[in-house]
Amino acid sequence: MRFALTRRSVLAASLAAPALWGRDAVAQIRRGDELTVGVWGGAQERLVREFCAIPLEREHGVKINFVLGGTPERRARAYAERGRPSFDLIYLNIFESRQAVRDGVTLAASSNVPNFENLYPVARLGGYGVAFNPVTIVYDRRKVAAPMTSWRDFWRDDLRGKVIWPTYPGAQGTAALLMAAKLWGGSETNIDPAFTNIARLRPFAAIQGSQDQLFGMFDQDIGAASVEFGSFTRTYAESRNPNIVIADPTEGQAIATNVACITTGTTKQALAEAFVNLHIGPDCQRAYAERIYYSPTIRNVTFPPELAAKLVLGEAAVAKLVDFNWDIVIQNQPRWSSRFTREIAG
Amino acid sequence: MNGSPRAGLLALPYGLWLLAAFAAPLGAVALLSVQESSEMFAPLSFVPSGAQYAELLGDRFYLRVFFSTIALGLVVAAVSAVLAYPLALWLTRLSPRWKPIGFAIVLVPLLTNVVVRSLGIILLLAPRGVVSGIGQWFGAPPINLLFGWFAVGVALVQVFLPYMVLALYDVLEGQERRLEEAAAGLGAGPAARFWRITLPLSLPGLRAGLIVTFLLASTAYVSATLIGGRKVWVSGMIVLKEGMEILNYPLAAALAMLMLFASVAGTILIGRGIAMFTPWIADRVPRRRLSLPPAMRRAMILIAEALAPIVSHVLLFFAIGILVFPLVLVAVASVNDSPQATVAQFLGFTWKWYGMVLQNERYLSDAWVSLQLALACVAVSLAISLPAAFALVRAGFKGRESLGAALMLPLALPGIAIGLGMLRLLQWFTALPPFLGILAVHVVLVAPFMLALLRASVAGLDRALEEAASGLGAPPARMFRRIILPQLGPGIAVACVIGFLISFGEVTVTAFLTTARLQTLPVRIYAEATFSLENTVNAISTIFILMTVALLVLVNRVMPLDRVWKR
Repeated sequence: MRFALTRRSVLAASLAAPALWGRDAVAQIRRGDELTVGVWGGAQERLVREFCAIPLEREHGVKINFVLGGTPERRARAYAERGRPSFDLIYLNIFESRQAVRDGVTLAASSNVPNFENLYPVARLGGYGVAFNPVTIVYDRRKVAAPMTSWRDFWRDDLRGKVIWPTYPGAQGTAALLMAAKLWGGSETNIDPAFTNIARLRPFAAIQGSQDQLFGMFDQDIGAASVEFGSFTRTYAESRNPNIVIADPTEGQAIATNVACITTGTTKQALAEAFVNLHIGPDCQRAYAERIYYSPTIRNVTFPPELAAKLVLGEAAVAKLVDFNWDIVIQNQPRWSSRFTREIAG
Repeated sequence: MNGSPRAGLLALPYGLWLLAAFAAPLGAVALLSVQESSEMFAPLSFVPSGAQYAELLGDRFYLRVFFSTIALGLVVAAVSAVLAYPLALWLTRLSPRWKPIGFAIVLVPLLTNVVVRSLGIILLLAPRGVVSGIGQWFGAPPINLLFGWFAVGVALVQVFLPYMVLALYDVLEGQERRLEEAAAGLGAGPAARFWRITLPLSLPGLRAGLIVTFLLASTAYVSATLIGGRKVWVSGMIVLKEGMEILNYPLAAALAMLMLFASVAGTILIGRGIAMFTPWIADRVPRRRLSLPPAMRRAMILIAEALAPIVSHVLLFFAIGILVFPLVLVAVASVNDSPQATVAQFLGFTWKWYGMVLQNERYLSDAWVSLQLALACVAVSLAISLPAAFALVRAGFKGRESLGAALMLPLALPGIAIGLGMLRLLQWFTALPPFLGILAVHVVLVAPFMLALLRASVAGLDRALEEAASGLGAPPARMFRRIILPQLGPGIAVACVIGFLISFGEVTVTAFLTTARLQTLPVRIYAEATFSLENTVNAISTIFILMTVALLVLVNRVMPLDRVWKR
């Protein structure tokens, strides 16, 4: 067979070449590539270094750079650099991640990542969910008349003046607000019942802005109950304060996930996908559960019964996590935030 | 350089640096503040709109927050001044050998993590805390002083007190002791001597301290967030919330600009106020004082002299207590075997946090970056702010006070707003070599502090010595080296220590600018704290405090913290 070296074929080839090259950079991992990952510090950094970065560096001769920081800075930078990112992969929380995909800042999840197939459906939104870290009721058993088993229990008489409400926005505050709406006949689209009824709880013992702050408040007997991540609270309860109970309310715990988001316009997409694939692999997921009680987002991982009891495992349990329409939540965030400041906290 | 307008040119390097490294982010913030649309990806419009300002000024909530923040700043500055005088006087009287330790005590709050410091405040003020405990001992019911303006004020005084003390230290140390001796010889008691001699002569230092603490306290937001329990709202929190959580940059920028205007106005007013009480500096005729009838005055003096020793000791006790308390907490926590740093009970002794810090090469390499950055930053800041201080003190031109306020601008804009401004400039910023880029920004943040402190020191120079030297034929360079520099020694040393600590600990703006190639230690600690604060942070603080003592001992050798010839 002979190739006809026509003008048209030369033109086509020359047009295609850069495209192929460009594709090459995105679709293949090359030695010497550097991947920039924006992630939280502490245990999270240690885990992804151990289970994602070091294996990749060994196998492919690449270099993984971490930029440590909080979610707000990372997110603000990703937005400022939309389309020409300096990060290849960033970690965000559930509602930020879905918004980022819609805003064209990060890419939606795809089956390019082999372990994508094992993810629960709810962990496939807004990028690759790497951990369930649900928000629930936590309380001091010495200070309540009876165990708390429902979100409605915050309105019980024995908790009057003892509630430590979480600030809004923020994962805990958002969950608390939306659960309150559901409870009192409202929803994401009808938030009034939430505000009216939360306002009824005033005066609060305090308003908390972070887990560290809440644990300090529990230490100091400032209040009886709040809304917090179950995982961190479990560590706190087991190491410092055995009186703290992590409740499993009948209405369900509110979903919160950590999400790995590959930035739009990255030139290292393949490498980023390989990184994520390791993160949602069974080894890394198991280590997360063992060390910091984050629940796995994949189906194909098993745990000893004692640990399993402290996690959200299996289709049924995951399905029971309460999810919300985050589009509406995000759209309303400025309004709700301003209402919260004035009607609840102020 | 005596009163000639040309001496104003000495402020040029400083001005140029601000223009190069600060005008751009400030411009970005200013431009954002006049956008009509709050939409994140709306194209920048160059047609100014007052929509954001109108929204802020038309909303009573924002207005209340804005004015209460300014009031908080003023109260914190005033309380810091009251506590700082006994402390600064105590520091000047310490023997040379103990001086570095005294300084280290003053600097403790600047060396400890803000979350840990807040925990200290919580332990003090909670219903089961120290203050309530003392009250209960006297039969009072348990009180909760937390989560309100009082607690936030205490936290801010604690962290900004060191700036006030250091601003006062140098002018008090440089004061002519013979004046006080003369007054004592004429029968003035300690209270009268303080009121008539020490206080008036230290006013230039007080001005530096008031301006710095007012600017810091009115733009601060972290303590209010941690200790205010969301019942306290300050402007900085709104900028953070609107800018970072809701991504409404224009509104955040507009509020930041309003804060900037208020800060500049505050700076000028404080400067004017101090100038009114120091007419001799500008060779003006003093204003007539209101005076009491002699009998009442005698009674007042008697009461003041009787109370002065008690009051000054009580204040000194409080000031040292509030400074040292976090140190105890940090040192204990650094060997506490608890997974979280914010623990209020001791669970067991361990060295493991130190091990985690000292064996982890990442901490060490980040600390090395921070160290290089801080040293370079102090060197550059000193080189530009010392001449600028001379310009502000000695040049004779109109609008000197306004120039002084303009050079303090970076302190008046909340750090978070500078960060938001830098976001818009990231693509140009990332084209710079990373070290140089962050250095440029750190100098902008540090130089105003050093300028404020050095300005007071330069104002305290004894001009007669210079005139004598020049009369004896000393060329300007030698006069600077032999006459001016030795007198400025303690002032420069103090300014450098403060500058070093600010750069070494900066995180608000740096968190926006770190890249994979350059990461500082505080940003790493901050990133870890956003996940869960471990006791490594306390181990680091303890190491910092020990290193600071060592550094101060060294500084004291090279550049004595007091004026040797006056001993």
